[in-house]
Amino acid sequence: MKNSSSYTAIAYLFLAPALILMGIFTFWPVGYNTYLAFNNYSIADGVATWNNFEHFKYIAQEELFHSALKNSLLYLLVVPVIQVAALVVAKLVNNKLPGMTFFRAAYYIPVITAISIAGVVWANVYKYDGMLTWLMQTLHLVPQGPDGQIDWLGNPDIALYMVMLFTFWKGIGYYMVLYLAGLQAIPAEVEEAAILDGANAWDRFWKITVPMVKPTILLCTLLSTIAAIRAFQEIIVLTRGQADTYTALYYVYDQAFRNYNFGRGAAAGLVVTFFCLMLSAIQFRFFGEKK
Amino acid sequence: MKLKRTVALAAAVFAATSLNALAAGKVQVEYWSNSLSPKFDSVMKDLTGKFNASQTEIEAKWVDVPWDAFQARMVAAVASGNVPGLVNLPKPWMDQYAQSKMIVPITKQASGFKNVYTEGANKDASYDGQIYGLPWYQVTGVLFYNKDLLAKAGVKEAPKSFTELMQTARLVKEKTGVAGFAPKLNDGFTGWFLYEGLPVIKDGKAVFNSPAHVKLVEEFAAAYKAGVFPKDVFKMQFEDQIAAFGSQKIAMFAEGAHALKRTKTDSPKVYAETGVAGFPQAGGKTPFGGFLFLWSVPKGYKNVDAAVKLGKFLTSDDAQLAFAKASATFPSSNKALDDAYFQAGAKSADPVERATSVAATAIKASRTLTVSGLPDEATMNKKLDDEVQAAVTGRKSAKQALDDAAAFWNGKLASK
Repeated sequence: MKNSSSYTAIAYLFLAPALILMGIFTFWPVGYNTYLAFNNYSIADGVATWNNFEHFKYIAQEELFHSALKNSLLYLLVVPVIQVAALVVAKLVNNKLPGMTFFRAAYYIPVITAISIAGVVWANVYKYDGMLTWLMQTLHLVPQGPDGQIDWLGNPDIALYMVMLFTFWKGIGYYMVLYLAGLQAIPAEVEEAAILDGANAWDRFWKITVPMVKPTILLCTLLSTIAAIRAFQEIIVLTRGQADTYTALYYVYDQAFRNYNFGRGAAAGLVVTFFCLMLSAIQFRFFGEKK
Repeated sequence: MKLKRTVALAAAVFAATSLNALAAGKVQVEYWSNSLSPKFDSVMKDLTGKFNASQTEIEAKWVDVPWDAFQARMVAAVASGNVPGLVNLPKPWMDQYAQSKMIVPITKQASGFKNVYTEGANKDASYDGQIYGLPWYQVTGVLFYNKDLLAKAGVKEAPKSFTELMQTARLVKEKTGVAGFAPKLNDGFTGWFLYEGLPVIKDGKAVFNSPAHVKLVEEFAAAYKAGVFPKDVFKMQFEDQIAAFGSQKIAMFAEGAHALKRTKTDSPKVYAETGVAGFPQAGGKTPFGGFLFLWSVPKGYKNVDAAVKLGKFLTSDDAQLAFAKASATFPSSNKALDDAYFQAGAKSADPVERATSVAATAIKASRTLTVSGLPDEATMNKKLDDEVQAAVTGRKSAKQALDDAAAFWNGKLASK
């Protein structure tokens, strides 16, 4: 007969391997990063000195950081689009028609493609005389010849949205799989009962599917929000921050690895984290379980 | 038979352990090259072997670090105190590391032999009056042009000045419809100011909004508008320029001689039509596209003298010559540059060989065109490049763009 405290001890024992790894590779760096945000840190001497919020004051007045933060927040536009699309695609591939496995795999391939390789391919799609321009010209959506050649990643008015489209393409499969798991957990009887009651497909989607995958919606929305706000890799492979696509995390990277000012980079990173937490809290309110 | 094999194995193990024992008494100097493996493994191993054979107290250990991982590895090494003896840095990185004190000055150790390097290289090796690096290989821009396209534009000779170059590019665009020239713009614009001999900072103030600076940017803007430069010229990297030249989408570009090796394999027809000339010098008295790599000693390394000794060997005439031959780059030491090898291709029909001899002549004057020691380098360069890009692509007037960038720079410089 075991008592509850020994159960707790055993539980922690099972958790220990993961906790130790996370402690070393996640919690410790996050904690140290937070500490650095309030200090002047010299790598050469390894000395950190308290600086009275100097980094925060600096980035509060830094117009480049403001516009970078604006771009990161703008990037959130991709979240609702990718979530709705992923749910719809998941619904479409969640049937037993022949060949469905092919579609599921096809949607997932971009997820497992290395971002650097996908970036090279998409740079050619977006090149002014690349595939997208060709397609638009073939469909007569833009003028023929050099006049219709659009530098998709070089025009500051559209470049960020083009990068978002890349993120959409790269990420949709990931959320589709999560939604698929959520959809398959819905008992068939519920839907069958609704059909017998005369509910149409639209009603069934909104009244049954959406409410029943709500926990998955919360999870996916959280994940894609965090991914959007820390958009960096797609920027570095496609535009390197040119044409008004500079994001907050790019600023963090520049401060840390171009200026070697790790304290300022950490402070900017902390501001990004603050926005992530705030948005997560809002999402929990909307989609979370009511107690 | 079996016994023989056992004895041989035992002998090998014994030999290996005794070698290790010997090596244990030596100072081991690990040195990091920058993205040279696997292409240049044999020359690097050869150089390491030669150095080790000549030393009784020092043992060199070569490690290659890929370009993308280099800075992160360097930061981690210095922060943890577990540093290699030498790191191979391009000039702009050397300045940044010197500024953040991640590498140490070696003025004292290098003073005895620094005269072996070219004048340009020695200037590049200094930061704030101290020597921070031993000059190694370098490249300089030579002008590659498509003879066929130039002929169609009625141009018979390679341009001799930058003004002529821009005129030729314009003619090519007008007559053939092909973009005449792709200037290197993805690394920022300050290099072009310096190439023209226009100062970027003077007496602690940004001075790149003078009429002369504005005129240069306006010239680029006019060329961009007329389609003389390709539309995505700001994004074009090394590979993109080579690809565009190979597919005849640009008529001229400037790069190191090594760039054309790709054209030779990928576009043999264009390669056969490729002419080579020195990149014309302008007010800065240096060709565009010079880039020097140096060996520096990271902070925290204990045996600085041993590291410099290895650096001295790697940058010696013979070692530099061996590396230059293997890589189609150039040495930075005077004697190695005078070697007959570099002039052998002067009359060759092969563009790479000819480019090598053209560049060898220009390289003694070659400097790495970079501005260093800025208080917030990443942000300041970003601002300037964004503004110049806006001006060149016609979104803003050149004067306004440079004024805005200069005001931003001066704000940063004042709060330094």
